[in-house]
Amino acid sequence: MRRPALALCLGLSFGLATSTFALDLNNVLDKLNNNPDLVNALSGTVKGVVDANRTITPQEEQSIGNGLASNMLGAAPLVKDEALQRYVNDVGAWVASQSGASGVKWRFGVIDTDTINSFAMPGGVVLVTRGLLGQMQSEAQLACVLGHESTHVLRHHHLRAIQSSAGRDALSNAVQGAIAYKGSNAGKQIGANLASGFSEVYVRGLDKDDEFEADITGMVLCARAGYNPYALAAVLQNLDALNPADGNLQLLFATHPTPRARLDKIDAVVGEQLEPYASGVENTVRFQSFAKRYSKVGLTTTP
Amino acid sequence: MKTTSVRLGVGVLLLGCSLLAQAETGTVIRASDLKQKPFLDAASAGRVSPGNNVTIVSRQGAWMQVKAGNQAGWIKLLNVRTGSGTASSSGNSLGTLAKVLTTGSSGTTVTTGVKGLTSGEVTATHPDLAQLQKLDDYAISSTQAATTARAVPLKARQVPDIPSRAATTRSN
Repeated sequence: MRRPALALCLGLSFGLATSTFALDLNNVLDKLNNNPDLVNALSGTVKGVVDANRTITPQEEQSIGNGLASNMLGAAPLVKDEALQRYVNDVGAWVASQSGASGVKWRFGVIDTDTINSFAMPGGVVLVTRGLLGQMQSEAQLACVLGHESTHVLRHHHLRAIQSSAGRDALSNAVQGAIAYKGSNAGKQIGANLASGFSEVYVRGLDKDDEFEADITGMVLCARAGYNPYALAAVLQNLDALNPADGNLQLLFATHPTPRARLDKIDAVVGEQLEPYASGVENTVRFQSFAKRYSKVGLTTTP
Repeated sequence: MKTTSVRLGVGVLLLGCSLLAQAETGTVIRASDLKQKPFLDAASAGRVSPGNNVTIVSRQGAWMQVKAGNQAGWIKLLNVRTGSGTASSSGNSLGTLAKVLTTGSSGTTVTTGVKGLTSGEVTATHPDLAQLQKLDDYAISSTQAATTARAVPLKARQVPDIPSRAATTRSN
């Protein structure tokens, strides 16, 4: 009795759905139909969605980011190397802190896949693949990549992309579902399931201007942290030299502007402006000890 | 002691080799001076023109060490493009890239026969909360990060923001 009523209510509030969003909605509804407990929880909070101007709170942002992160970790778990995981947090938290932003719960991790990519989740999660780590030639390169991803978090790029495709109300509902269950493990799981329905954003990709902004602000954060910011340009040049048909690059290349286009943007916007900082740290002993373990040169390059 | 330094030496040598294995070629995109050292006020080592091919030897700061015909020296790395967008790539790889981009933007990225983390895996719903807990456990505060950074040593610097969305053009 309650279930169809809720479905109708959700359906009405999602009246301006795009086709992409319709898929997300079906996802959410499927999950609702399979979780009577959640339906009960949501029916108490669903009236909140009528306020279309409601903004997502930092706590809610973190909640949805946790859902997205746990889904990504379900697809590729953390590399079982505690020293490595602590190391990326040492570098990442230092670079991200250069933004001066407070209240972000930064968590960095290396996930166990040959795929070359990195992902940022709302609220402060940044996941780099083992495959991308293997392409890094210096700590400055890693720091600049983490600066790029941190910028996505700081500027709320993924949250905005989800909101514009799925609608503010859909996101709000998913988040409220999670909040309603705060503290209970079952609730966390259901919240994560709901949030992960928005994982499509990692296949669809962001607006190209968001990627350019992440490159440029990432270089600035990298420079502030004491590294050579042009290490990001080196990463992009190395990516550009890899064979784009390699399966490990497909998701990255399908969701980002070409490395060439990104270099052209850096060239046009940053140019020589960061050269006073180019003498910053390039490499460290700690990076080289990990590079020995994870460096990968087996990828094919363009002929 | 001696063993350690020998082992370190071998490690650095191996790393050097792996970087050499990635040696690439590039194409010059604007007329540039080659310098004898990676500094603006270094003596000239020649000049390259747009379209000239270079072999990349190494990088330092904003500079790239290259060989260009019978010349060799340092060029601003943003004056060089590598890989698929350059004249050195084959039409084949360009075609493949275009195909990947098209399928990606249509939202139906092919997932069969693809190794690594595929779009299908990324969107499949199997959240792992135990892994999320591990991720949380590895996190450090910015204060802790600053302490570790000082030991490297890394020094924070004042760097002004660079707006990316305003129409900015570079006057090179």
